[in-house]
Amino acid sequence: MAHEHLTYDDLLRIVELIKATEHFSEFRLKVGDIEVELRHRKSATSKPVSARVTKDVIEPPVAGPAERVPPMAPATWPEGSVVIRSPMVGTFYRASAPGAPPFVDVDQAVKPDTVVGIIEVMKLMNSITADVDGTVAQILVADAAQVEAGQPIIVIKPNLTIGTDDRYE
Amino acid sequence: MNNSYGTKRFDFIDVTLRDAHQCLWSTRMTTAMMTPILGAIDRAGYAYINILGGAVFDVSVRYLQENPWERIGLLCEHLDTPCDALTRAQSLYTFELFPDDIVALNSHALARRGIEVLTVYDALNDNRNIESSVRSGHAAGMKVNAMMTYTVSPVHDDAYYVRCTNELVALAADFISIKDPTGLLTPDRGRTLFPAVVQAAGNIPVQLHSHCQSGLAPEVYEIAIRSGFRFGYTATEPLANGASLPATEDIVGRARRLGFDTSMNDEALAEVASYFHWVSEREGKPRGKSATYSADLYEHQVPGGMISNLRSQLDTMKLGHRLPEILEEVARVRHDLGYPILVSPFAQYIVTQATLNVVQGERYKTIPDEIRKYARGYYGRLAAQPSAEFLERANIDPSEYVTEAPAAHLEPAIPRLRAELGAAATDEDVLLAAFYDRKLIDPLRNPAPECRFRTTPLTELVGFLANRSDIEYVRVRFAGTDMTIAS
Repeated sequence: MAHEHLTYDDLLRIVELIKATEHFSEFRLKVGDIEVELRHRKSATSKPVSARVTKDVIEPPVAGPAERVPPMAPATWPEGSVVIRSPMVGTFYRASAPGAPPFVDVDQAVKPDTVVGIIEVMKLMNSITADVDGTVAQILVADAAQVEAGQPIIVIKPNLTIGTDDRYE
Repeated sequence: MNNSYGTKRFDFIDVTLRDAHQCLWSTRMTTAMMTPILGAIDRAGYAYINILGGAVFDVSVRYLQENPWERIGLLCEHLDTPCDALTRAQSLYTFELFPDDIVALNSHALARRGIEVLTVYDALNDNRNIESSVRSGHAAGMKVNAMMTYTVSPVHDDAYYVRCTNELVALAADFISIKDPTGLLTPDRGRTLFPAVVQAAGNIPVQLHSHCQSGLAPEVYEIAIRSGFRFGYTATEPLANGASLPATEDIVGRARRLGFDTSMNDEALAEVASYFHWVSEREGKPRGKSATYSADLYEHQVPGGMISNLRSQLDTMKLGHRLPEILEEVARVRHDLGYPILVSPFAQYIVTQATLNVVQGERYKTIPDEIRKYARGYYGRLAAQPSAEFLERANIDPSEYVTEAPAAHLEPAIPRLRAELGAAATDEDVLLAAFYDRKLIDPLRNPAPECRFRTTPLTELVGFLANRSDIEYVRVRFAGTDMTIAS
């Protein structure tokens, strides 16, 4: 290191050494014409702070397991009901956007192609349809709640149908 | 292979401030990390400096809370080398399609901030999607670099890319690029593909933009140089390789050995490299490592940054052990969907469909809305017809297929946005409002973090020590300097 100015290589070496000696209270080093002498604070609680690293990256809050919302209603329904279950692990949304009216409400009539909610998984929105003619009887999951694969989300009271619709066989 | 002066030349486009950190640092390089080294980047001899891409714009709004327009302006102002901005054509910076008036307003806004080259690609290589960018880019006084995206499939043969090149020639692009987002190109393929594209491009200079995920990219760049490509996209050595692009230093060496002139300045390149080695250390960010060749990559084609992201998402769902199965399914879904290219946004869609197929234990039990839209032609022409199995499960009504250009069904958005935002809104405000919710835009009004335009290793050392609350006393001596910091 026989040069006049500190180089980035020198800097990297010095900083690596400082980081490697964090557990010692004192550290002295002389390499070529560079000398570093350093004393750490005694208090064991003080932790290294790298302010630049933490302030630059502000991630949005992520819903953790603690925020899982339990079902709003006991999961029971009359015989003959059609239960719509979440096809996958994800987040259930009752409306197309925050503040928008919900796709369906209790007592609302639905057709097979009526969208009753969205399951978001990995940022993709998957529409969930009623798949049956009937009336919404219960909505079991809160808006924006995490749902498991197979978890019941909506109960539909189907219209009585006469014929050979294989959905009920 | 020779230019009009009779000397063989190969020139470089820097991606350090864009794709390099997009691949290695999840796009988290801030403006303040860039500004101290702009002087050296300028001296390095690059023909162009790529400073913007879809992810850079999006991450700076969503996660860094930096106004991307301010960054573009600041970098263009401090760099004498012409700056290049990349967009996803009709989708610009996001995954949505925008109407032609928004695309045109964006071209003018970029040019006003000092961008000189507009680089544009469409994820489906449906060049109807880049027409409005080319037209408005030229109208705004920029050169336009049109990219075609490379993939390996039975339909993406050399003739396919020659047809694509012919379309870009007809659009009067100023440059034509082969973009290889997953690093799938091999030297063997380059030997046939590159001369064919160079010939079809005629007088239009051809550029290569390939990633190092297979480890083969430096070899592939050599083939491109020999085949008459005029430019290559590269990054400073610490932020090159792995999921990133090849190192400038590496490709400059190869070009020189092949007898090509470059205008690159080794001393400035070394200064840029040593600065970013230090910034990687200071910020706790990874440096690029050379990748090992893996044959699996050619089956699933999932970009490297995406695999690590998917692994962590699967882990949170306790499904991490099913990653290999999901990657195998990605290869099948690609085939079923008619070989969409694993580049944003289709990379995300294909991987999600494959995950659903595996996790639900039944293929195409659930088909995300975006995949249906893709199959209907909503985003543009498919490279090949989807499989019968997929079409049967998707059950798309023939009346739902879209054959017109994707933007043709989109109403102009500027009149509505201007009415909402009022007379005081600038073009840049209108564009941000077209792309983002109000709550993402508001934080961008906060004062920009302070940027320094030069730094030295000594300044950085003092800054590092001053930020460590665990150090009570430090003395550093070297050469004629003696420095003590005590609290």
